[in-house]
Amino acid sequence: MRVVIAEDNALLREGLNLLLTSTGHEVVAVVCRGPDIMPALREHRPDIAVLDVRLPPGFRDEGLRAALEARRDLPGLPILVLSQYVEETYAAELLADGATGIGYLLKDRVSRVEEFLDALDRVAAGGTALDPEVITQLMTRRDPLDALTVREREVLALMAQGHDNTTIATTLRVSERAISKHITNIFHKLGLPPEERGHRRVLAVLAYLNT
Amino acid sequence: MRAALRRGWDATRYLVGGLGTALPALLLAVPFVFLVVPLSLLFVGLPWLPEVLRPLRALANAERGRAGHALGRTIPEPYAPPHGSDLARAWRLLRSPATWRDLAWMVAHGCTGLVAATLALGLWPSVVYTLSMPLWWWAMPEGTVQVFVPLTSWPTAMTLPFLQAAAFLTVLVWALPRLARFQVRLAEWLLRPTRREHLARRVERLTETRAGALEAHAAELHRIERDLHDGTQAQLVSVAMRLGLAVRGFHTTPEESLRLVKEAREGVEDTLTQLRGVIRGIYPPILADRGLGGAVRALAAGQRAETTVDLPDDIPRCPAAVEAAAYFAIAEALTNATRHSGASRVAVVLRHDGTTLRITVRDNGAGGADPASGSGLAGIGRRVAALDGTTEIDSPIGDGTTLRVELPCAS
Repeated sequence: MRVVIAEDNALLREGLNLLLTSTGHEVVAVVCRGPDIMPALREHRPDIAVLDVRLPPGFRDEGLRAALEARRDLPGLPILVLSQYVEETYAAELLADGATGIGYLLKDRVSRVEEFLDALDRVAAGGTALDPEVITQLMTRRDPLDALTVREREVLALMAQGHDNTTIATTLRVSERAISKHITNIFHKLGLPPEERGHRRVLAVLAYLNT
Repeated sequence: MRAALRRGWDATRYLVGGLGTALPALLLAVPFVFLVVPLSLLFVGLPWLPEVLRPLRALANAERGRAGHALGRTIPEPYAPPHGSDLARAWRLLRSPATWRDLAWMVAHGCTGLVAATLALGLWPSVVYTLSMPLWWWAMPEGTVQVFVPLTSWPTAMTLPFLQAAAFLTVLVWALPRLARFQVRLAEWLLRPTRREHLARRVERLTETRAGALEAHAAELHRIERDLHDGTQAQLVSVAMRLGLAVRGFHTTPEESLRLVKEAREGVEDTLTQLRGVIRGIYPPILADRGLGGAVRALAAGQRAETTVDLPDDIPRCPAAVEAAAYFAIAEALTNATRHSGASRVAVVLRHDGTTLRITVRDNGAGGADPASGSGLAGIGRRVAALDGTTEIDSPIGDGTTLRVELPCAS
């Protein structure tokens, strides 16, 4: 895949570059400043953009703002936002116009290379990757979740992060059939439309968690 | 004319209300001027001075309240808190300008207040009385009804009373409001703290809050140091140890080394999570990103209870310490509301009037929050006081909790 990276910290920039190139991806541009992101994206039209949230010149949320701008002006361009900390509010802003091709992860997750690359692929393919911590923030404030069993809550969390049934089954070490059953139960208990698939399913779950 | 009469009426009400302080002032003035002051100056009466000043101060406070209400701003008390031995206290009272200014006000208000109230009280019936003269003057013995001159003929009876009523009315609408304003100004001028007293009290408060600030800052530094030392640093040491062992056994026991490296990675992940917590406790990153408004909105969005946020769009940036204190105060109030009071609705209101940041957090929970028992609320109080701000908690049992915080923040 052709990737554009926005990251101001030299160590992390080199690290990401190394990780991506060594796993067969092509880093077509690396920018260090918020205002440089949009021109780079317009010029290179990458398969995915990996953006840091806090960037010069203001060291505030330049990267996130650029991501939102790209969502608006370059629809269909997959974006993976990486950050030292996650805010539920930022996740909501990123997901405001759909969960297609969007990711929002803690930088820590890069240490699990396989999982990180999987998230990258998922987002590039139009899926969703949300950090478990965002989902935890969302889930702590819903009362009706008390109706779910512990296992069902685990499944719900993984679903909200953007994983498909196969991954959920592998992660929890159970059969895919068991997972489908859990999901049917969850959707039934929460009153959600059961036939949603893919990113529409993620959106349904997130919308539920968010209200 | 209506408005003028209304002003006259308001002034009358204020001046008649002044009787409540003027009469006691007049009663107190005689013993004070002839007994208390001379005896105190001769040192004979000095030990009793604090006691005998008490009614005078209560009276002055009543007038402060009355005049302050009319002015629309409070007139603060000028009295310094008492300390030292009885005699030292009495001596300080004798030398304090506040004592002499109270006395001056007592004499001035006692004399003028009574006259003004009598005038205000007498004018209204006088107008009615004068206007009614043409109806009955002829029934009285000749020469007993007087308006400027004795009324003896119809032409004078039909003109002079109206002229006099007009004169009374003029006094009523013109002079009474001025008299009332004079009374308010007199109270403000004599009863408010002098610049010196004001500054002395300000210094006293700042000394207190500065000591508090240093203490809070020290406690904060210790907390951060402990978090980093016991948490982050210790975790990184254990990670380094695992990596060292992995390197040592890389060739001989690769399986074992791989396990150690994986453990090291987990250790780093834990450390990062813990470090985020430390950073959040020092200065929440979202505060830097989005300012107080954005941070509070994000905070409210993460609540279980239905939380509304009411704040102006153009809230100016305050110093980081002030914004952080405001943020933590709101966060603590929200935690209390949902976790301890079981509130289902919380309202957060933020206002900035150019000099002060005002925060109100009101919930509909169980109430009964006691800042003395909950260390969280007490901590907020200390943190706010350290910045020269004030905290107020109103939490009647069964009737929700309201937290009010004011932080000085000139923009």
